[in-house]
Amino acid sequence: MIVDRDHLPQELADLPEELFVRVKDRPEMDQVSKVRADSFYMDAFRRLMKNRVSVLSICVVLLIIALALLVPQISGYGYTEQNVKLKNIPPRIPVLEKLGIADGTRTVIGVKPSALNNTSRYPEGSVLKVLRTYTVSGKEACDALVDMYVFAGVPEGKYYFFGTDYLGRDIMTRLFKGTQISLLIAFISVITNLIIGVVYGSVAGFYGGTVDIVLSHLAEVLDGLPYIVVTILFMLLLGSGMFSIILSLTITGWIGTARLTRAQYYRFKGREYVLAARSLGVPDRNLIFRHILPNAIGPLITRTMIAVPSAIFSESFLAYIGLGIKPPEPSIGVLLSSGQSVLLQYPYQTLFPAILISVLMVAFNMLANGLRDALDPSERGRLQ
Amino acid sequence: MFKYFLKRFAAMLVTLFLILTLSFWVIRLMPLSIFENPDISPEIQQKLEEKMHLHEPMVVQFGYFISGVLTRGDFGTSVKIRPGMDVLEIIWERVPTTMILNAASLILAIPLGILAGTIAALKRGKMTDNLISFLIVIFISVPSFVFASLLQYLFTLQWPVFPTLYLTHASTTGQIVASMVLPVIALSLGPLATIARYLRGELIESLSSEYMLLARTKGLTRGEAVVAHAFRNSLVPIANTIIPLITGIMGGSLVIEKIFAVPGIGGLLVDSIMAGDHFLTVALLMMYSVTSLLTIFIIDVSYGIIDPRIRIGGGQE
Repeated sequence: MIVDRDHLPQELADLPEELFVRVKDRPEMDQVSKVRADSFYMDAFRRLMKNRVSVLSICVVLLIIALALLVPQISGYGYTEQNVKLKNIPPRIPVLEKLGIADGTRTVIGVKPSALNNTSRYPEGSVLKVLRTYTVSGKEACDALVDMYVFAGVPEGKYYFFGTDYLGRDIMTRLFKGTQISLLIAFISVITNLIIGVVYGSVAGFYGGTVDIVLSHLAEVLDGLPYIVVTILFMLLLGSGMFSIILSLTITGWIGTARLTRAQYYRFKGREYVLAARSLGVPDRNLIFRHILPNAIGPLITRTMIAVPSAIFSESFLAYIGLGIKPPEPSIGVLLSSGQSVLLQYPYQTLFPAILISVLMVAFNMLANGLRDALDPSERGRLQ
Repeated sequence: MFKYFLKRFAAMLVTLFLILTLSFWVIRLMPLSIFENPDISPEIQQKLEEKMHLHEPMVVQFGYFISGVLTRGDFGTSVKIRPGMDVLEIIWERVPTTMILNAASLILAIPLGILAGTIAALKRGKMTDNLISFLIVIFISVPSFVFASLLQYLFTLQWPVFPTLYLTHASTTGQIVASMVLPVIALSLGPLATIARYLRGELIESLSSEYMLLARTKGLTRGEAVVAHAFRNSLVPIANTIIPLITGIMGGSLVIEKIFAVPGIGGLLVDSIMAGDHFLTVALLMMYSVTSLLTIFIIDVSYGIIDPRIRIGGGQE
């Protein structure tokens, strides 16, 4: 129906003012399709928030980020602060110590029973209990439960929640400082990859033709370089350190994003709204970044989220093969690999980094799964 | 079709050459001399440098290196790990261990992965599926070296069932096999979960497809239809996850081999990087590159064979 603004039919002219609200601000659902008139991303966000696993993952990730920022500030220890007298102290945690878990004790194996009474080596009250006595090649020996805090002379009321390492550094402080560094490496490399990939893929996908062929072939050659090989080579060339890790993760890391972006542009550049914008004289720059990109961004978000845990993994992997962060700076990988080397003597030094990296990886992967489901256009408008 | 193969093969060779060049320049541009050893007298050092053409300009050196590799397959001699020994010889010594370990882990991972994926898909939404899916997420997310540490702690310290490290010179075969158990398990968890996840996804899609309905209408039982139709169709995409596993058998896992002190390729690469034995590093990196490029080539070709729609090389997205 076409009507003249000055000669509106009576039933239209009498419409109450409150009906003139933007669709997205209208609280009630559409009467016909029973869905809310939200934008795609609002809709996706609501679906993400409905998914309990995703919400839990977001909470876990935020909690770990908060701990990583806070703990090194408030723990009372510096992350490079050494105290060789207090090396390899087992963890002691205030409430749990009453239950016998993390109570700062350690079973010392094969000591001479007479040595236990020597107060210069085992101070008063450090030996809690002799577990068993036996003879080894004619000599008496025993296993004893020793309170390492009294043994090493840790001042009363001082707690190492996660214990200390071979230089007497507080593992909790180092772990969360390390988480900070690992997360920083992951985020910077992922964002760099995203920016390079999106720009490269956008140009290739939007212009097509010769530009696309040249850019795609260039990317293909780079992509042929095996990931392990390139990373190792660049780490060798640049030396260990945070910047080199980030750089070596970005050398080939952006290609997947570029390819995905290019495919998205091929999908969207023929749409009517692009044609409309183009015929209104919108310059290419705006067509690419203002008109097409916001529509193409869904799969890119999922991909970026998956890239975060794999960057954290790569960092740890490099630390294991001796190409990680420069000591004494910590990272999750550095702590894991140095814990691994004393796993059988001091398992707690591996335990805490291992738990942290596992929880972090599971949370990020779950979040990525949730995002993928939430951004799936076929789920659009579903309320379940 | 043949032209397509040829094109892919040529691209592979170009990439390989690129990697070789890149490795050479990276290694030579590193600040330290190749023979950073105060024990070697200056004359010997000079002799060595002459033998390796180190006094020539870089481009000439590169020419020597490339021609050595291309004509004689000569990647140079080791200078740190086993001084004086041909690097390829060192590598060949290590290959069997890695291959046996990886093969054993695949023999474990592929059938179990297929089984787990199938069960999860058939019991979709039930407790079994939830449990398997949960385990899949855990096995995919948690890094293999965390599992390796966990296994090592549990089975060598808490319950001393298996040896801590890989045994090279044990008195009985039983002991060697026992020492292989933990690395094999640690190696197989990731591939197992990957196969199970893909298969579950593919099977769920196939199970709800129209050809399954047709098969049931024709009178096949559910089991027959699943085995003959859904399962077979799902295996095609799975091939793409299994092919890299099979070709990857040559290159060891760097971290797992290091944790269990396995004398394999991965451990050798880590050692050579840490010791700064650059000729060995380059040769090993080349080996990894060849494997990975061959894998990509095989997958490309297999796509063409399995799915005729991909056969034409150009243009189509």
